[in-house]
Amino acid sequence: MSTDATGDYDERVTEEITVTVNGEEVTAEVEPRLKLSDFLRNECGLNGVRVGCEHGVCGACTVEQDGRTVKSCLSYAVQADGAEIETVEGLTDEAESEDGSLHPIQEAFHETHALQCGFCTSGFVMATKELLEENPDPTREEIEEGLADNICRCTGYQNIYEAVERAAEEMRE
Amino acid sequence: MSSSQPSETDDVDVEPETETESFTGTGLPRVEDRRILTGKAEYIHDVTPENCLHMALVRSMHAHADVVSIDTSAAEDHPDCELVLTAADVKAEYGPMPVGIPEVETDDGVATLEEWSLADEKVRFVGEPVAVVVASDRYAAEDVADLVDVEYDPRDAVADGMEAREDEVLVHDDVGTNVVDGERLEFGDLDDAFEEADHVVSGEYSWGRISGVPLETAGVVAQYDDETDSFDIDCNIQLHTLVDEMIHEPLGYDADDVRVNVPADVGGSYGTKIGIHRYCCLAAMASKELERPVKFNEDRLENLQGGDMHSSDREYEMRLAVDDDGTMRGLDVWFVDDFGAFPRYPVNQVLKPLSVLTNSYEIDHVGYEYELVLTNKTSQTAYRGFGVDPHIYALEMIVDEAAREIGIDPTEFRRRNLITPDQLPYTLPSKNIYDSGDYPATLDRIEEIIADERDGGLLDPEVVAERREEGKYRGVQPSVIIEPGVSGSDWTDRQRTENDELEERSRDEVDELPEHLRATVREDGTVQAYLATDSSGQGHQTLVSQLLADELGVLPSDIEVDYLDSVDAPTEYGSAASRMAVMLSGATVGLAERVGEAAERVAADHWDVSTDDVAYQDGAVDRIGGDESLSLAELAAVDAERDVEDRELTGVSYNYDHPATEHEEFDEAFTRKFPVYPTAAFGANAPIVEVDSRTGEVDILKFYTVRDCGTMLNPMIVEGQAHGGIAQGVGAALLEEFGYEDDGQPQAITLFDYLLPSIENVPEIEMEHTETPSPYTETGAKGVGEGGMIDAPASIATSINAALEPIGADEPADRIPVAPDHLLEKVREAEDESEDDA
Repeated sequence: MSTDATGDYDERVTEEITVTVNGEEVTAEVEPRLKLSDFLRNECGLNGVRVGCEHGVCGACTVEQDGRTVKSCLSYAVQADGAEIETVEGLTDEAESEDGSLHPIQEAFHETHALQCGFCTSGFVMATKELLEENPDPTREEIEEGLADNICRCTGYQNIYEAVERAAEEMRE
Repeated sequence: MSSSQPSETDDVDVEPETETESFTGTGLPRVEDRRILTGKAEYIHDVTPENCLHMALVRSMHAHADVVSIDTSAAEDHPDCELVLTAADVKAEYGPMPVGIPEVETDDGVATLEEWSLADEKVRFVGEPVAVVVASDRYAAEDVADLVDVEYDPRDAVADGMEAREDEVLVHDDVGTNVVDGERLEFGDLDDAFEEADHVVSGEYSWGRISGVPLETAGVVAQYDDETDSFDIDCNIQLHTLVDEMIHEPLGYDADDVRVNVPADVGGSYGTKIGIHRYCCLAAMASKELERPVKFNEDRLENLQGGDMHSSDREYEMRLAVDDDGTMRGLDVWFVDDFGAFPRYPVNQVLKPLSVLTNSYEIDHVGYEYELVLTNKTSQTAYRGFGVDPHIYALEMIVDEAAREIGIDPTEFRRRNLITPDQLPYTLPSKNIYDSGDYPATLDRIEEIIADERDGGLLDPEVVAERREEGKYRGVQPSVIIEPGVSGSDWTDRQRTENDELEERSRDEVDELPEHLRATVREDGTVQAYLATDSSGQGHQTLVSQLLADELGVLPSDIEVDYLDSVDAPTEYGSAASRMAVMLSGATVGLAERVGEAAERVAADHWDVSTDDVAYQDGAVDRIGGDESLSLAELAAVDAERDVEDRELTGVSYNYDHPATEHEEFDEAFTRKFPVYPTAAFGANAPIVEVDSRTGEVDILKFYTVRDCGTMLNPMIVEGQAHGGIAQGVGAALLEEFGYEDDGQPQAITLFDYLLPSIENVPEIEMEHTETPSPYTETGAKGVGEGGMIDAPASIATSINAALEPIGADEPADRIPVAPDHLLEKVREAEDESEDDA
């Protein structure tokens, strides 16, 4: 917020945006400075979008915007006007059948113990989704390249390789 | 309900399939995962009660300055501003935060060290909070924070531990010195050992300031209740049932009036979050003032530069006395640890190395001396390893140096001095005891693995020679490294006790906190268990459900595990110091027995027979010699008919005593200043490194490790802990450091500067296990959480030394992290020397 010459405060300026989030259209009045990550968490209630650094290094806030992963802490909500966003919550809705099964990527992370504290996990799951959509059978080097923008502080990544490979196998079938 | 109703267990001919199976010892997938994977887990950042306000902090941009004035008027005029607090407000209503060293002996008597949650007359590090602002949302709060006008008068700063010892710049003027603690301990005949030895080798090693840096930053939501004059504080502090005093004491409230609650999911801690009480106190004060919930989420820049979360920052001088035949006769350790501006709780990080004083080597004569100094940096907290990691690193470095100086193969030198299985349990000069294991066999196994790589693998002589042509040097140097497990709480008090007082202290005065576990059998026959500590990714809910399922003869899915807050839980130590595998498993076994006994009492009472005539087994109590049986569900229903205070199956609890208290062997350590860690997990690493002599970069081609943590309760979780610890060790060894300019300005305030290892930096880890149960613990388990962080940096450093040995570099890994610029300098020095020689 800024002050004008007389010291009075301007009203907080907002702008209307419409974003399709996990298949549902959301219209909201937002400040131009509202980060996309905060919009998804606070306005849409999607806490699966984790905020770890707010400067684009850790990747915990990774979501899909119009089919490509983005770090949602690095863009503003207004930039997503008209876009389609998918978060980790959307992944389950897609997959969750009546027996409560998870998306193959989530299931693979579970089975291979590819998460500990889990704060980075949403980001890794979303990054894995993009990787496997582009490359259904990645080598270890390709997995490395695909997930290099996400940091995990707990697992040492060993089981994340396993998870990606298992998910890839499952999704190819 | 009728007891004659047949239950499934009546059909004795049909054995349940699970009868012969055990969940313990299997890699049961975790119960924590589903909520996390679906994005539904609620971390502290996700807790936002209705009507909640948001806090931001005004922080010092100076490392050392007098605060001349604070003008809050512009901030208070902001329409979104709800509150501004400064040190004056805090001091008027509240007390200072507890410090690790409250009094310092000086030439003029005793000086008091105080830390306030907001800086008062002067600031002592960049990022130190000076004012609190509260507004309608975090964006607005940051706007308001910008309007607080603080006038500073900058002073010279000291940002180097060795320089701080000179006392030219004083961090605390009243104390008169920056060296606020120090001691020299000697074991055996040190002077004789060093005089008589054929060689005395010395070396200086530096361990840069690093820390855990969990992906989730600190967070708190404080709610003051006017009616009861009490607080509810949700936060991600670690050890909330132990360190809750760090919150209620400064607030001036009783423990029962400050309910500290930690969410089931915490986004990593690794020791670091024990130190977030400042935020809890400030949010609580603001909440009381405003009578509304106040939330604070630390942002990453705050966390890295002034989040009270850095850890060990040490300079070592090591001496080793060695004979011609390779016998290590004496070791002398001296170091300075730079604790930053205030000596906070983990001051005993300087003493924990005594628990593994000589690592896996038999050395009878040892000196150990430390100085704890203060500088104009953010304060230290605990980090995985708790000060042992730098000690092991420095020790393995001097061992390397000695081997080269006396001309023995470094592996052979290590082997000759290893403690052998027939010496175990082995009492260290510093009185801690190694429980069980075979260190020589572990070294042999890792040597076999390396031998395989030398034969057509990564270390094949032909490959190594080819790479050398390109300036790339490969090498590996293993050693056997001990992970001390299962700290007690008592030695933190003993550390602060005068030696002459300790002389008179008897063993009976040692007061260790047990591990508390509680359970209630619900009416559907399932069991609700409660942990009295917090977790941050270790899978404690899974561990308790699988162990309790086995002990009770039910399924893990019949057990739900929740957490107690600081008021409902007794004071206990909690998740730290490689404790939980041992303490939780011991507590679970005991709790299951209590639940079984309670169930038997309910059944006996119901049938009006003696408890000798009934027996609990597999989720039901059978009447001996009869065909009657009551399932847990039926028993819970019977129990529910009693008066609440008479109920047997509600709030069944068990306290598992710290295992060392049961064994007299530990008495000597217990009555002195020494840490007691009754389990010794161990391992040997072989990171095969390749050093590029032209860039100074280190590539770990593969990381082999052979490990033993006693009985593995959940091998999947054990491996996960080892992977994670090793990855943090890789970061420590090669990437991470909180560097500072001479004027105290921090150099690493973003994750672009503080480099956390990515998937590209962590090598493939190939792990083998042996399982030597601990004789001291209920389940044979040993501590396992810290191992990788303790042993990986040392192993990577010695492997770098080995790789560059052919060019004659002098212990090139003598500082951690072994950054490319440092290695390059070492390579050039070596090249210059060889040119001079030529």
